[in-house]
Amino acid sequence: MSLHGAVLFVWVRSGRNRVLRQLQRLKRPRYLVGALVGLAYLYSLVGRTLLLRDSAGSASPGVRLFAELSLVVSVWGTLFSAWALGADRPSLTFTETEVQQLFPAPVTRGALLHYKLARSVLGTAAGALAATLFVGRLVSAHPGLFFLGACLSLTTLSLHGTAASFMRTRWAARGGWVVFARWAVLALGLAGVGWVVLEALRAHPLPAGFASARQGRQWLLTFLDAPGPRAVLWPGRLLVGPALAKSTEDFLAALPPVLFLLVVHYAWVWWAQTPFEESALVRAEARERARAVRAPGRGAAMGGIRVGRQPFALRARGRPEVALIWKNLIARQRMGGGLIWLLITVVLGGTLAALLGDPTVLEDSRRVVSPVCLTMAVVMAVVGPSAFRMDLRMDLPKLELLRVLPLAGWQVVGAELAASALTLGAFQVALLAGALLLGREEDLGFEGAWVPALLGLMAFLPALSLAGLFVQNAAVVLLPAWVPVGMERARGIEALGQRLLTLAGTLVVTLVGLVPAAFVALVVGYPLFDRFGAWAFSVAGVVAAGVLAGEVALGIRWLGRVFQSLDLSEEQTE
Amino acid sequence: MTSLEPRWRMETVLDVQGLAKTYGAVRAVQGLTFRVAPGEVLGLVGPNGAGKTSTLRCLAGILPPSTGRVRVAGHDLAMMPVEAKQELAFLPDEPRFFEYLTVWEHLNFTARLYGVEDWEARARGLLEEMELGGRERALPGELSRGMKQKLSIACGFLHAPRLILLDEPLTGLDPLGIRRMKASLRRRAEQGAALVLSSHLLPLVEELCHRILVIAKGQVVALGTLAEIRERLSGPGGANASLEDLFVRITGGDSDPARLEQSGP
Repeated sequence: MSLHGAVLFVWVRSGRNRVLRQLQRLKRPRYLVGALVGLAYLYSLVGRTLLLRDSAGSASPGVRLFAELSLVVSVWGTLFSAWALGADRPSLTFTETEVQQLFPAPVTRGALLHYKLARSVLGTAAGALAATLFVGRLVSAHPGLFFLGACLSLTTLSLHGTAASFMRTRWAARGGWVVFARWAVLALGLAGVGWVVLEALRAHPLPAGFASARQGRQWLLTFLDAPGPRAVLWPGRLLVGPALAKSTEDFLAALPPVLFLLVVHYAWVWWAQTPFEESALVRAEARERARAVRAPGRGAAMGGIRVGRQPFALRARGRPEVALIWKNLIARQRMGGGLIWLLITVVLGGTLAALLGDPTVLEDSRRVVSPVCLTMAVVMAVVGPSAFRMDLRMDLPKLELLRVLPLAGWQVVGAELAASALTLGAFQVALLAGALLLGREEDLGFEGAWVPALLGLMAFLPALSLAGLFVQNAAVVLLPAWVPVGMERARGIEALGQRLLTLAGTLVVTLVGLVPAAFVALVVGYPLFDRFGAWAFSVAGVVAAGVLAGEVALGIRWLGRVFQSLDLSEEQTE
Repeated sequence: MTSLEPRWRMETVLDVQGLAKTYGAVRAVQGLTFRVAPGEVLGLVGPNGAGKTSTLRCLAGILPPSTGRVRVAGHDLAMMPVEAKQELAFLPDEPRFFEYLTVWEHLNFTARLYGVEDWEARARGLLEEMELGGRERALPGELSRGMKQKLSIACGFLHAPRLILLDEPLTGLDPLGIRRMKASLRRRAEQGAALVLSSHLLPLVEELCHRILVIAKGQVVALGTLAEIRERLSGPGGANASLEDLFVRITGGDSDPARLEQSGP
């Protein structure tokens, strides 16, 4: 059997087996319900509008212009990155399985290259389909043509990237001066584009103020129609032309140059090909390593983890479950610090920008930053439990390891929750403290209530986050097949539906858990209001937090028993 | 290692009674009953899918048994799991680690869990013994398969467990590592630890184990010393047969576990 035949066999059988497996899973109610919800969601998202064609191509000219510009800029970005970014080596990526199965097979390098190109065509087709569903149906009256056009342009860009990587590999082998020449040409190109844009701006200066969006669009159209920008954008426009064609005639008219480019790029790749096996092997191993260190939904560095300081020294004596908290805090530090830094950067960056803009803005920025901090603290109570996942959601794939530990189930569950809860809670308290320090109640219209309310929130919001974290972890233990854990992520419509149901379930359970807390807080806080005024808010917040914490404590005891008897035998048969 | 003082008959570190584990309709382990004494090394052998890993996972408290009872150092694993686990170490064939903890931090973590106060001295000794000296700051992703196996063993030995459960402990080790590992396991047994060793490497089992438990289709088909199994096994050439010969004869296609004589514990 030739490579083409073998590859076709693998693709067809893999696809068939995946579909069969998904259909078989539908016999189980939880997957059937998930599939129905997933289908309903997909229908509500794209299916209805696609079938009814009521919104196809209904986007305003402004949106169309924006879409065209975005696509053209994306084309330029892809071209620039192909020549400027990354290492000077072939960009072909193979999985470790492909390396093990195909590289030792009796096939030529050309056949491997064709295989990889065919795979990239499949990938671009999937990308084009997604673009059609989410963008194409809005900006084009002919989603089918948009899909075809997107396929052609994405495939051409993919071929360009491959050819560029081959050329860079060749040039790098010739020595430093060739690399220098490449950078010089790139720099000249960028300088040229910059000069063209500046000249065009001189000819068509930005109006002092736009009276309407239409006026702004008009200026942009005039600017883009100037000779310089038109020349710069021409290659990109040429490539996205078929996708954005307004009619079949326009599509056919825009097609020949793109087809020509496609053929030329294919010939270029074939001509420029260099040995890629070694770099493919290195990349496959690097990808596998990165996969191994990557936590679910985290943006851990692809290259690995930076070993840094520990959050605190772990002594051998003391409660053993603290070891779990310690290790999860380390995980938070080494694998999940990005979110916190992003939020801190947003707050600090916003403040700095405001200060640099105008000296009088110091006072205004203070007025702005304080509510922003408060809003973020509240928002974190909702999104934080999903974002901070250094708990059972991270560790459940290592169930075997957890189960051998000399800890009771409730200790494991409690300790696993603690790291995320502590980090999230500390972050919220810091934000609220920021709001407290920067905000003035007279500015914000909370006469006399600002400080007591914030103090109450300092107790309540971390407890609310803890409750959210508990519900998410409980979902993992109770429905391990529904919640994505570890690196594996279930695929398919039923998995999509399950995720939606889990999300909805989490919100409902958290809200139900809030009822007793709110009731007790009301019972305690209301009588105190007459006597202590706004300070009753603080007391109510602390009481509500206490009730929530008590509920979570009870829940941990219960969940610990479930965890102890958790039997993942189905996934762990020999 | 062929002889053992009969004290194992008096004391027991691991006591398994009627252990069974089912996965839906599949009966992976059926009615295992055996004991392991301090200082004893019990070899667990059987063909692929015989139920060895399921047995070890049940003994380690990872999987709840469907029926039966497991006692570790006198603690019922179902009733007193924390106390029982405090006394055991489970070393899987493919050890898994926390990707973000270094080698040294894994040992620190283990020390806190088991309350090993002199862990630093012990850890240094174990790292030297496992030839991991100088790799303290390495992350698991930076270790070879053999090194990971050694780290798993170092973590497992840190709290001086009374029961050590090993699933293919020599996987990934080089010849020198294998020799050191065998010596290390012998030393632990001499110091009084009970070992249950599952392996397909029959010469290793023959060399290290005092007694051998052969299972097939989840059932015990032979249990005893090599000499006892030889003696009880009828058939030509049985008296001089190696463990490999016996294994093939016991678990071969023509053998029916029900027909084979089962040795009592």
